Formats: sequence, C-alpha cells, structure tokens
Amino acid sequence: MKKTLQYDRVNKIFNEGSKHAVHALRDVSFAIDSGELFCLLGPSGCGKTTLLRCTAGLESITSGHILYGDSDITTIPPYRRNIGMVFQSFALYPHMNVFENVAYGLRVRKLDDKEVKRKVNQIMELVGLTDVLERNPSPTALSGGQQQRVAIARALVYDPDVLLLDEPLANLDAKLRRYMRAEIRRIQKATNITTIFVTHDQEEAMAVGDRLAVLRDGVVEQIGTSNELYHNPCNAFVANFIGKMNFFSGQVLAYDSDTVTVSLYDGTLLSIRRNNYRASTEPIKGDIIMVAARPEHLSISTQASIPSIAGQVSIIQHLGHIVRYEVDVPPEFSDQPLEIDMDGLVESVREKDSIRVVFDQQKIAVYGSDESR
Amino acid sequence: MRTASFLKNIVIAIKRFFQKDLTPYIVFAIPLIFLIVFLFWPLANTFIRAFMDKGSKFDLSHLNLSNFRKFLESPLYQKSLRNSFVLSISVMMFSLLIGIPMGYIVARVNIPAKNLLLSLGILPVIMPSFVGAFSWIILLGRQGVLRHALNTILLPIGIELPPIYGMFGMILTMTLTYYPFVFLLSYSAFSSANPLLEEAAMLMGASKWRIFRTITFPLILPSIGASGLLVFIRSIGSFGIPAIIGGQQYVLPTLIYFRVNGFWDLNGASAIAVVNVIITGAVLMLQKYVVSKREYETITTSRSEQKVYSHWVAKFFGTVFCLLVLILSLAPQITIIIMSFFEKWHGLAPEGFTLKNYARIPQVSRRELMNSIYLSSVATLLTAILGSIIAYITERRKPKGSAILDMAIMAPFVLPGTVVAVALISAFSGDSIISLGGTFTIIIIAYMIRRTPYVYRSVVASLTQLDPKLEESSIIAGATWFYTFRRVSLPLILPGIISGSILTFTTLLQELSTTILLYGPKTRTVPIQIYAAVADGKMGEASALSTVLLVVVFIIVYLMNTFQGNKMADSFKMG
Repeated sequence: MKKTLQYDRVNKIFNEGSKHAVHALRDVSFAIDSGELFCLLGPSGCGKTTLLRCTAGLESITSGHILYGDSDITTIPPYRRNIGMVFQSFALYPHMNVFENVAYGLRVRKLDDKEVKRKVNQIMELVGLTDVLERNPSPTALSGGQQQRVAIARALVYDPDVLLLDEPLANLDAKLRRYMRAEIRRIQKATNITTIFVTHDQEEAMAVGDRLAVLRDGVVEQIGTSNELYHNPCNAFVANFIGKMNFFSGQVLAYDSDTVTVSLYDGTLLSIRRNNYRASTEPIKGDIIMVAARPEHLSISTQASIPSIAGQVSIIQHLGHIVRYEVDVPPEFSDQPLEIDMDGLVESVREKDSIRVVFDQQKIAVYGSDESR
Repeated sequence: MRTASFLKNIVIAIKRFFQKDLTPYIVFAIPLIFLIVFLFWPLANTFIRAFMDKGSKFDLSHLNLSNFRKFLESPLYQKSLRNSFVLSISVMMFSLLIGIPMGYIVARVNIPAKNLLLSLGILPVIMPSFVGAFSWIILLGRQGVLRHALNTILLPIGIELPPIYGMFGMILTMTLTYYPFVFLLSYSAFSSANPLLEEAAMLMGASKWRIFRTITFPLILPSIGASGLLVFIRSIGSFGIPAIIGGQQYVLPTLIYFRVNGFWDLNGASAIAVVNVIITGAVLMLQKYVVSKREYETITTSRSEQKVYSHWVAKFFGTVFCLLVLILSLAPQITIIIMSFFEKWHGLAPEGFTLKNYARIPQVSRRELMNSIYLSSVATLLTAILGSIIAYITERRKPKGSAILDMAIMAPFVLPGTVVAVALISAFSGDSIISLGGTFTIIIIAYMIRRTPYVYRSVVASLTQLDPKLEESSIIAGATWFYTFRRVSLPLILPGIISGSILTFTTLLQELSTTILLYGPKTRTVPIQIYAAVADGKMGEASALSTVLLVVVFIIVYLMNTFQGNKMADSFKMG
C-alpha cells in the first residue's frame, strides 16, 4: 500500500493565450515518498501554493501528469481525490460547532453516527483538543492555536491519502508558530500520512520537513533534506534563500583535483576545496566567480591573520546564543555589508572599529558570477 | 487505426465531461434562460418597436424615426421631456440642500435622539411614494387643509396659494421622498471619514472652516455626488408621484402610460421608453464613475473618535433643522392615518369620525388584498431563488462575460417601472407567440425582473464576506458541488437572501408603476385600488387602504431591523 505522489513535467499557465498569461509552474517533476513530510519552500509568487492547489485538484494543470501510486489523478475532480487540506485562514465553518466541523468529511462519506463520534473523538485526542470537544463551542470562539488544531483534525479525520498544508502557521504569533510546527511534525509522524507543507519561511521548512523543495518562478531549484540544502546548496539563489550567505567577487587563479585557488580584489588568496566549487561549469583560469561564506564561516579578529580582509564593524546585535556583527567592506569585495556570527562577544571590538574578517577556508564555497541570488 | 484512436479520444473527452460535476451547469442555465427570455428579448423588442409606426405589426422592413420625430414636433412630448429634466434636477438639488446639512448635523453635532432620527429618516423611502403624493393633496390640494389655513392668513395681503397640482407639488413630494438617500449616504460618509486626517490638518494650524473646506468636504464629495445622481435616477423614473400630483404636467413615465393606456400605441410608448432609458443610462454611467472615485474615502482601520460639536447654538439649530425636515417628510404618513378615520377633511379639522373606511375594505378591496399578497409572495420567492443563483454565478464562478451579466441584472433597477412594463407588453401580449396579457404570470415576471437586483445585491454582499476557501475545503473533504452548496454556502448566505427578500416583498406590496400597465380586471392590486380611489376622489377609502399598507410595511421592516440589526437602512441605500 506504499504509494508515492509523483509530479511528471507539470506545467501551469494562468490565462493561457491572453496578454496576461502567467507561467506559474514550469516542468515540475519530482516524487514524494509515502509517509513523507515534504516542504515546498520559496518566496511569494514562486508557484508553491499553485502546485499545492493543483495537487488538490482546485486548479487544473496545463500539461503534464500527477500520479498517485500507479494511477493518474490529473483529471480526477477534487472531491474524489481523498485529500485533506488545511488552509492558511483555517476555513472553519462558522455556522457549525467544533464537532460538526471535524465530522464534516465523515458526514460526506455517510458514516453512521456512532462511527463518526468514535473517529472524531480519536482524532481530537491526537491533536490534543479533548477538552474543547466536551464544551463543543463554535470555532469562532477558539484561540488561533486551537482553530489550527481543529483544522488539522478536520483534514485528517477521514484518513486522507495525502495531507496538504498551505502556510498553516502564517496566522499564528511567533511563539505559537514555533510550538505548532513541532506539533505538526508529531501529528504527521503519528498518522504517517504523506504530507505537503507549503511555507515561505525557510527556518520553518527546515525545522518541519523530512525533505524540502525550493521553488523560484515556477521552477524547482533544488530538492533535499534540510542538511543537504544548508550545507550543499546547488546555486546562489538556494544558498541565500536557505539561511544567509555572504558573497564576494573573485577570480580563479589556479586549480587542481583538491583545491581551487581564488584571489579577491585586494590580492588576498583563498584556497577553496574542490568539492565546494559549485559553479555550473568547470573552473577555468581567469574566470570571475563568487566566493560564498555563511555568517559562521567568517570571523572577526583584531589581529592580521591569513587569509583575511579589512572591514569596519557597523552594528553589533546580541541574539542570545550568538552575536551578529554587521561589517562594512569596500564595495569591490561585496556590494552588501557582511553578516558574521560569533559564538560570543569579541572583547575590545566596538561599533565603528576597524577589524579583520577571517575566512574559514574549509567551509567557503564558489558559485558562478552570473547566477542571480 | 486512426479512426480507432480518434474514437478513443472522443470517449475520453466524454468521460472527462461526465466526471465533472454537472449540477452547477444545469442549475446556472435556468436563470440565464430566464434573463434572455424575459429581459433581453423584451428590451430588444421594445427597441425595435420604437422605430415602427403607430399600430403597425412587428415587421423589420418598415423601420423609421417617426416616433422620435415627435420629440421635435409635439409640444406635449417636448414639455414632458423638459418637465422630466426640470423635475429631476430640482429634486436632486433640493435633496442635496436638505440632505447634506442633515447628514453633517447628525454625524458631527451632539444632538439628542440620533438613532431615532436615523431610523425615522429612512421611512419616506420605505413607504409608498404615491401615498405621500396624495396626502399632500389632502394638505395642499384644492380643498387642502393647510392651503385653506394659509390662504385665510394670506388673504389680507392679497395672495392666494394655488393648489399643489403641477410642478411645485411634484418637486415638494419627491424631494421629501428621496432626500433620505442623500441624508443617509452623507451621514455615513461624514461619520466614517478618518478623523485623523482632520486632526492632522488641525495640528498644522488650519481653522475649522478651512478643515471642512479642504479636507472633510472633498473627501466625502464622491459619496454626495453619487447620492445626488441616485436621486436623479429615482426621480426621472418615478411614476406614482407625477401620476397623482402632476395634474396637467406630464413627465416621461406618465407620458408612456398615457401612450399605452390612452392610445394603445405601444410603438410610440417604446420610443419614449428608449429616450427615458438613454437618459437614465447616461446618468448611471456618471454615477458609477463617481462611485469608483470613492475608494480613498474610508481606508482607516484604527478607530479614532470623531470630533463632535457640543456648543448649544450648534445643538439648538441642528435639532430644529432636523426636526423640521423630519416633520415635513413624515407629514404625509400622519395625515393619511388621521384621514383614514374620518369621513372628510375639508376645513381645518377633519369631520365625522368613523371606522367605516376600514369596515368597507373587506367588501370593496378583498380581491385586491388577496392579489397583492399572492403576487408579492410568489414573486418574492422566485426572485429570491433567481437572484441568489445569479449572484452565486457572477461572484463565484466569474464566467467570461460576468460583467455583462452583472449589468443585465442591475439594469431593471434603473429602468423605470413603466419601461419594464412596456417591454414585457410589447414582447408578450396581443399577437406574440407567448401571450401573457392580463395574467398573474406577466405581473410576477415583471416583479421578478424588477426586484432581482435587490436579492442579487444582498447576496453578493454576503458572498464577498464568505471566504471561497470554506467551499474549497468542503470539496476537498469529498463533498459534491450540491452538497457543498447545501451545507456550507447556503447557510452562510441565508441572512443575505432573507434581507433581500424582505426588501423585495415590502417594495412589491406597494408597486404601482409596473402593475398599472400590466393589470387586468382579475389582477388588480392594492396600490391600483388606492390609485383608482384617489382618482375618484374617495380619499377615505384610499387613506384606509394606504394605512393598512403603511402598517404592514412598517411592521415587516421593524421586525427585520430587530432581528438583523440596523442593516435595513443600508439595503435601501442601493447606490
């Protein structure tokens, strides 16, 4: 009974043929394993919600196929797909009480009252709302977090094949959001229903998903686990979307099978590991490239260690577990101020002080200069 | 081989078609057919007839402009056209002159009993307008009470007030009937304008008058403009008031009636109708344009209290002004109620207290009462269904051309009642394929066509409140379109349907302008009976029937206000 959900060259064009045609999905192909919690991540307008709505059948796709197991569900109407969906606004029915909201899908399936009651009780226990069910109020009387749980219960109660979550945490406040994302993962693992979770928040996606796909302009940029995407982003866009990435312009001086030697604007030499060389083409001597460093791959120092460049601290932010330094460097290095994370405060360094920025050569990477971030 | 794959493709296409839920398409086809048969076809028919000679059969080969030439040749036509413009523009100006200050006072001056003022202020619009007209005859007509009294006072200085019949009477009655549109719209504009804007101007050192002139007034100007044009549209389409109080002064709607009833000249009437519609249509476009400029009016989410004037001078004059307007505009209803209990009212006081006027209703107007209830209920029920479905299509499915559907459905709202009647007669009476002349059916259809916008508006308003995600989540949970409609959409838009229906029902009970061209001996209604009684000078009978109508309408509106909150005023604004 293990069935994968598979997208095969899915295209979606809104207003096809008109002046306002929008190509929302371009040749999207990938597969989601049975029982997997899969995140669709991307900036707004990237097509993630469109892909979700196509999966639900609320939008028809322009070309391609969506397969569930062996069967092609591309043209199956939404009400025959056996899918559960949680909306950003929760979409709870204001004219029904909590019980009837959750029972809705069971009533549609014409289950008898006893069975409906048993299933609703069971699912409400899973989402931790047994006490709410006893009072059985109108959903409008519930808090945001409780409404969220009711919405999840309503989508899960009829054992859907696939659960779709469309920015489910966007309407909650920051603290509740962090708590609920763990809850969602717990509930998903308890039911083991294949789940797609759409979000624009990379931290949320990395925390929740087994695997994630990064979308941009209707194209899947990269698919992988949080770990893979963070430590091995395939291009500059993914690198900068999943966490922060500092970029420096540089030039390839030499390379061999282990390292690539790059020189920065002021002649500083960096030897970067060959498997961190992620430009789409093989290295060529003289190529202009971009050196990429995560905030934790840089450090600030008052001494001139090698390799390092000069900079000036503009802002120091104490974030608790780390201290974030914003450092201005000449625009020839980088057009944006650098973000550098240190484990603690560096004694004697104040805002406006001149310091050295030190590279961790084992970790920094290289991307092609023509790739947009 | 090729044919085989071709056949296979067809089979797949058919399968896909039937896999779709077909119910919505079938349900949506019904109102479309209704609109085509009973709105588009009659309107087209009217338009063509306007170009045909008097008395000629429906024939496309003899089209000419003779009917329109009358507007250049006949003094009666010219006078009617001029009267229509003079009347509508005057009523618009006077309504603005009364309505804007009143709206400002109620919104910004601390006067007592504001809520009472607001709910009584709407009454003239809710109550039958022709009743207002004939009660002004009681007050200022040939033997009018007020006129009598005023003339007694004015006699020494040698002035004698003429009877109210004519232009003055029409302007007076109509202004007092339609000024609430301006009053209520400008009240809501004045009270919802963002006070922070005025406070900002005040901090920058502007005087009160300067703030009003440069901030407050420009912000609400579109609202006021829209309400003024709405009054114009209502005035130029009004039939009851000119018919009762116009005397020898014809306006376009009464001219249409005269053409049909006096000469049975449908083609001539159609031409007048076309002219009438062109004028209304132009004004409506202007109004839509003005309304579209209204967006910047209330964009505030943070509530800050309005500055309210509490100086005793402002309070005193504000209260006096509002009371004066209110008394004047409610005088007709009060007069009617008093009149209904007396035999005659020729001198200062009514004479001969009696209940005879009421006692006679069951004998004289039994059929009319039954007809009114029957016609209004059936038409309301069907209108509710039709209006809701069309609202649902245009709002949810957004099919191609839904803008046209939207316009089509709103058209009867501005088409004068006489025009709708003429259109239906020209399409469905005499020699037409479906002959409906003199039947209940044609009146019900006319009512439906004219009142569908009420339900439509009301349901569209509730639908825009209803998140489509609610319906989507039901579909995803496995429900069909019909199940979703029954369990989710319908319960949530029901309040909208109900308030639209009540509005429809109360206005249909008092409908005169369409019915008067469509009724036959078996289908007379209460308003027809009142109109006939007034024409015969039977003021007692007319008053008693009108009082019954007033009371019924008032009770329904009052009950609805109680159950649904104070939304009634909103639904009557319809701008």
